[in-house]
Amino acid sequence: MSCVTDILVIDDDKDLVESMRIILESRQYGVRVAYNGKQGYEKIEAKIPDMIILDVMMATDTDGFDLAYKLKHQLEYRNIPIIMATSFPQKMAEEGSEKFQHILGESWPISHFIEKPIDPEDLLIVMEKILTEHKMEMNQS
Amino acid sequence: MQPGYVLVKEQLFFRKELIERLPWLIRLRWAVVVFGFAGCGASYFFWQWLPLPLMALLSGVLCYNLLFLFVWRRLSPFKSQGVHSGSGSSFIRAQDILRFNIFAHAQISLDLFVLCVAIWYSGGVCSPLALFVIFHIILTGILLQPLSCYLYGVLVSLALGGLLWLQQGVHSPIFPLWYQHVILPHDGNSVANDFIGIVRYATLVAAVLITAFLVTTLKLSLRTKGRELLRLSKALDASNTKLTALYDMVKEMGMSTESKVLMDSATRRAAGIMGVKACSIKLLDDQHKKLRFASTYGLSEDYIKSKESIDIQKSPINRKIIDGAVYAIGHIEERDYFAYPEDIRKEGIASLICLPLRVEKRILGVFCVYSDADASFTESDVQFFALMADLTAMEIEKLNTQLNRIWFLQKAAHQLRSPLHAVVSMLKILQKGYLGEVNVKQKETVQRCEKRLELLDSLVKDLLSLSIRRTALNHDALQRVQVPEVLRVLSGLFESQAREKTIDIIFHIDKNLPTVMATDRLLDDLFTNLISNALKYTPPGGKVTVCLARAEEGGIRLEVTDTGIGIPEQDFSRLFSEFYRAENAKDFTETGTGLGLVIVKEILDQLKGAISVSSHIGEGSTFVCHLP
Repeated sequence: MSCVTDILVIDDDKDLVESMRIILESRQYGVRVAYNGKQGYEKIEAKIPDMIILDVMMATDTDGFDLAYKLKHQLEYRNIPIIMATSFPQKMAEEGSEKFQHILGESWPISHFIEKPIDPEDLLIVMEKILTEHKMEMNQS
Repeated sequence: MQPGYVLVKEQLFFRKELIERLPWLIRLRWAVVVFGFAGCGASYFFWQWLPLPLMALLSGVLCYNLLFLFVWRRLSPFKSQGVHSGSGSSFIRAQDILRFNIFAHAQISLDLFVLCVAIWYSGGVCSPLALFVIFHIILTGILLQPLSCYLYGVLVSLALGGLLWLQQGVHSPIFPLWYQHVILPHDGNSVANDFIGIVRYATLVAAVLITAFLVTTLKLSLRTKGRELLRLSKALDASNTKLTALYDMVKEMGMSTESKVLMDSATRRAAGIMGVKACSIKLLDDQHKKLRFASTYGLSEDYIKSKESIDIQKSPINRKIIDGAVYAIGHIEERDYFAYPEDIRKEGIASLICLPLRVEKRILGVFCVYSDADASFTESDVQFFALMADLTAMEIEKLNTQLNRIWFLQKAAHQLRSPLHAVVSMLKILQKGYLGEVNVKQKETVQRCEKRLELLDSLVKDLLSLSIRRTALNHDALQRVQVPEVLRVLSGLFESQAREKTIDIIFHIDKNLPTVMATDRLLDDLFTNLISNALKYTPPGGKVTVCLARAEEGGIRLEVTDTGIGIPEQDFSRLFSEFYRAENAKDFTETGTGLGLVIVKEILDQLKGAISVSSHIGEGSTFVCHLP
């Protein structure tokens, strides 16, 4: 059985995806990629990742949020930690556009929100923290 | 037929006249007594003759007038409850009106009796005092009901007829007081002349009855006009109230920054203004095939769920409304308007108005009000609701346009920033050696690229912030905010930034500061821009001080002082212009968009505050803001 932590990166920007692959593989994370919500969901169905790094605007304005809520409403996927990475400021996503409001009526479906540009160290610190907490929660339950 | 309570209210309104005019009689009597006694005095002075019976009569009048005055004062509490109220009649009870009526009758009856006695003493039907009967009839006509006026007219006529009969039969002593002297020459035989006496009597009776007729007719006519004026006044008041409520509704909608909030405000207010049990807004989907509830007020969850999505093709009534028809249905039971009338019945809806929400030629959806009473809506209600629907549609469209504009700006900013972020991320990877070792020169060059791109990113972010701020939607409703709380939340971030640059940052926050009219978001942006600026232009080892204190003129004084590079005096006038950066600022650091202080100034303008700057080159700057 592989002990490599499987990270699924879902983002439509191929350059950014490549940057993240480089960062994550430098720490021996296993990286799979998808370029929109539909592809990402297919990859999740094929194998449940240990973590998802998810962009917001891909095929549609709210593709990332839609996928996050879809996963949250499914028992087998609801516990996958999700880091949302976007060029939208977090404040705007929380307070702002009505495009997000219809979703944000429910509770926030992600573990962490990170604004781009992504600093490699910051990303790795956040990931390790979330993975550790997630592992502890799984062991307790 | 008017409702009973309206008739009673009108009657009470007119009864106010009775209460206000009753004191006239008392005052008139004072005048009669004074002039009467003065006349007696003059008579004695000039002709050495004191008309004792007249004086006795006047004394009697004086006594009963005092009694009436006493009674009037006892009645005053009932009077003051109603007469001086805003509606004039709201508080007068019917039983209190009876007391005033009896009081009026008592006065008029006694006065007429005394007058008859005076006429008897002063020559019977020939007496000049007989004419005063007409004045009493006029007063009765004004104060009391028409029937009372005719009744008193008839009674007085009978009394004078009786007097004539007594005179002609010589059955009662006549004391023609005035005729005993040369004041008024008197032909002693004219009273005994039947024909002349009857003619005089008939003339007097005719005058009395015609006066009664004229006064009561005039009064009825005036009452009818008064009633009509009252009705018009009430209708105007009602219209004014409705229009004021409509204005408030449009104002509230205009301040909404979210579609749902706007429509909830519209349905809630519309139900209140129209006086109905429920209201709804249904909007068309993008394909114009389905209607969905966007907002409801007063409708049950079950009803809403049953009508969640209405296919227009399957609903003739909704199709017609989308085509521009207006449906005002007074009796839903009577005809088969709806596909599922049992749902409507169960909801308790008996009548409704449904209108299209239309902006120019575009239909946005359907606006409905529902009443639980049959035939609840008049033609003017439908017209008024049509006006409300048009205004609501305009507000929805205006908000959607503004939201779309903001969304466009946000998307444009996102699209501009995404490739920048990708490049910056790749540069970071390169700089940090993820793709292999980089030499110092390469690292430096990469860092400079990164900095320029981060600057471009900040510029896009600030431009977006400024553009959104300048839309009307950014003007959120201000509310009372605790300024120290907002600053405390941000202080950790600023302390972290200061630590990175080895700058000392100190916060002085006075206790018991007043609240200010603002929003958390505006204050957040204000602090962020001011304090980040101070940190940006202060070299390592410097100091930034942030003070919050009570302002002398009221409100709060915010002072941000740094020991930074300072601002040249010649640049003060351009400090708040877009993209402007002083030369020494550009030399000190390349980061800076030139928009931070513009944002600060616009925030303070919105909060009706003010800002002032003092600075010395090489020593630092102080920005002082007043938040009222």
